Amino acid sequence: MSELENPFQETLLSRHRAEPCTVVIFGATGDLTHRKLIPAIYNIAAAGDLPPQFKVVGFARRDKTDEGFRAELEEGNRKNSRQGHNDELWGSFEQCIHYHRSEFEDPSGYVQLKLLLDKFDQERGAPANRLFYLASAPEAFKPILEMIRAAGLNEGVGGKWARVVCEKPFGKDLATARGLNAVVAETFEEKDTYRIDHYLGKETAQNIMVLRFANSIFEPNWNSRYIDHVQITCAENLGMEGGRGGYYDTAGALRDMVQNHLFQLLTLVAMEPPTDLSADSVRDEKVKVIRALRPLVGPEAVGKNVIRAQYTAGSVDGVPRVGYREEDRVNPESKTEPYVALRLMIDTWRWQGVPFYIRVGKQLPKKATEISVHFKKPPQVPFATTKLLNDSANTLVIRIQPDEGIALRILCKQPGQAMSMQQVKMDFRYSSSFGKASPEAYERLLLDAMAGDATLFARRDEVENAWKFIDEIENAWHKSATPPPMHEYPAGSWGPKEADDLLRADGREWRLL
Amino acid sequence: MTCSEQTDGNGVCSKLEGNIIMPPSTLNESDLDRLGLETPIARIDRALKQLWEGDEAKTRASLINLAIYTENSGELIADNDLLDHVAARHACRALLILALPEAQPPRARAWIQALCRPYQGKQVVCSEQISFLLEGGNAAQVQNIVFAHLDSDLPLVVWWQADLSKNFEERLYSRIDTLIIDSSRWADPAKQFDALLTAMHAETGGFDVRDLAWTRSHFMRTALASCFQDAAALHNLDKLRTIHITHLKGQRTTALLLAAWINQRLKTTLGLDLIEKDTGPALQSLVLEGEGVRGEVRRDCESCFFSVCATCGDHTHEELLPADVDSDDELVSEQLSRFHGSTLYSDMLPFVRSMLK
Repeated sequence: MSELENPFQETLLSRHRAEPCTVVIFGATGDLTHRKLIPAIYNIAAAGDLPPQFKVVGFARRDKTDEGFRAELEEGNRKNSRQGHNDELWGSFEQCIHYHRSEFEDPSGYVQLKLLLDKFDQERGAPANRLFYLASAPEAFKPILEMIRAAGLNEGVGGKWARVVCEKPFGKDLATARGLNAVVAETFEEKDTYRIDHYLGKETAQNIMVLRFANSIFEPNWNSRYIDHVQITCAENLGMEGGRGGYYDTAGALRDMVQNHLFQLLTLVAMEPPTDLSADSVRDEKVKVIRALRPLVGPEAVGKNVIRAQYTAGSVDGVPRVGYREEDRVNPESKTEPYVALRLMIDTWRWQGVPFYIRVGKQLPKKATEISVHFKKPPQVPFATTKLLNDSANTLVIRIQPDEGIALRILCKQPGQAMSMQQVKMDFRYSSSFGKASPEAYERLLLDAMAGDATLFARRDEVENAWKFIDEIENAWHKSATPPPMHEYPAGSWGPKEADDLLRADGREWRLL
Repeated sequence: MTCSEQTDGNGVCSKLEGNIIMPPSTLNESDLDRLGLETPIARIDRALKQLWEGDEAKTRASLINLAIYTENSGELIADNDLLDHVAARHACRALLILALPEAQPPRARAWIQALCRPYQGKQVVCSEQISFLLEGGNAAQVQNIVFAHLDSDLPLVVWWQADLSKNFEERLYSRIDTLIIDSSRWADPAKQFDALLTAMHAETGGFDVRDLAWTRSHFMRTALASCFQDAAALHNLDKLRTIHITHLKGQRTTALLLAAWINQRLKTTLGLDLIEKDTGPALQSLVLEGEGVRGEVRRDCESCFFSVCATCGDHTHEELLPADVDSDDELVSEQLSRFHGSTLYSDMLPFVRSMLK
């Protein structure tokens, strides 16, 4: 036993308990802190997984006391905590919450923050690790990081680490992402930088690797010889409620969803097996997929492979909805796409000739995110006269949300004298099979960041390569003389006709969710 | 170590080491009615099929075979209720086996029932339970019953509530994936740990062992770890001299397992002071102390949390951490949530065995 090993902790590795730590949340008065971060930390505490002598400091511009801040967070926790709210636990937990008022650009605010963190260390009797969580508006990232560096907060004290977690969006194009990465790199080493993508914290997203690499029936068939195509769908049945139009209209579906969440799912589906489960082994394989995406350069290539659209007035679940350009805080002349569909090719040995179709949209009929892997049809010889063979391909569906699970569609013989076949579905549902609720994505990711496991966070080259690909499409839309058209679809429909045509031209169709 | 002998009214001597001794009980038909629909054993498969036919709103789910084996008829209803709770969190084929080897004449009866829970407001997800009453049966009969009614290709988890006596034999345990026991129920822990170790070391004894008495201290161990997290406390570990554990009457083995773990981790033998209480949670407090260093984990009767207080020199650290679950169904669910194997328990058994001598 080495001198500083905790012999009792050593035996409890499965509980993933990190070392003493202070988390500083920048932009702590925002929605994310109230809805996600504090409930996540509270639920980690309820599970007994929070590091001992833990502290959280909210850093924001508004004037508040510790007590006032705690009261606001308590209200948010009552509404949003996954495991409910226990007054006794909250009474103890809230003692670790503090508020620090400062402008993001004010150097003296960071000096005061450093004094506060040092005071906590003195109370603990030893220095603790420090995790800086950037939950502010993205334009504040740069000044915050510069001020952290200027105050010397980026250096761990007494052998402890200092890390940064960056919320999305990480840049709005390649240039801004590179600029931001440069600022981050001047402040923190890459190993201490955690770019969060909450999709990767979802149980079903993590299960993709297990499904592929731990089941010998799938991986041998996971290539262009057996797979016809892959579809990734992220459908939302909401529009711009709650004032989100202001941000969304500056981003659009491609930047807001495809560059990060859907590309992360794509890489998990398409990557080669990593040599081990270390963060860099997994991320090495993921970034290879992004690099291998066949570039879509120029308006013609983009027009042929990418469909963008805005919704017009319609109805979802019988409730009337206005068109995108009539939404609150959306420019009536907006050129932003709340819907996009893409046909992507991955130029690797494994995926030669296999299209990956991605679609994401607002005001679609239902909320659902799923990946469907469509296998090639069998040779058909023995059943050549059977009508159902037109629809004979096996499909593996990985449901990311809601109703997380996996379904496999196979053909079976219908009972009777004739050789008739029917599609049947083998369906695995997480909630039916595992009664225990999965942790929220933020719980897992926060614990991972505290424990130093970056596997479920995006690396610099991953982010930049994704932006490089996305920028070509954005340039074709917004900077070319002959931009591909913006199509329309009625709210409540499954997107524009042109998106259907994108697949129909290949002899395929979107899966009906 | 104290070991008292008590004699009941019938002159039967039972050895006590502070553990719970379940009283024998008689069965009545109204208790058996709660097990579901009585079915001839030869027709169980057909009856289960009929159970699912004609109700499309029900989804049948199963991830494991979970069998409970008891030789105490007084446990039957509690076990039946326990399976209902456990199946709500862990979809399973549940087998409840009550064996009464001494009963005559020999006979076997079976019941089936669906354990259902609502899912998303419209669908019902169900597991199935088969209950057996085996009077005058032997080990072979128990094995035949268990093996004939497993959901194929799923792991077999057995909670063996009886002593590891004649019916727990090689041909049975060689098929078990996970064996659940509760050593706090054992009348003679030393003898039972010996039987367990023999089975574990047998060529075919590749099963994982989950002891509920060990699970009862899981969060207390986590809380203790947090007392010694900082460098100052770690530097003073070698000053620790004594373990004080306050436990509920009947949980002596639970407390001993905890003490054995502490000694094993510290690679030493600290003085041990066990205090028994008539009421309250299974484990109520744990104090490790020595000169200038003290770690205390305490649970109030009504609280779901441990108060943790660590003192090292002038520095004191306090926090609230989740406490252990106490009920059997929560303990079993906790075990089923952690399927990954651990050698920690088996590494510790020799320490416990030596403390029981």
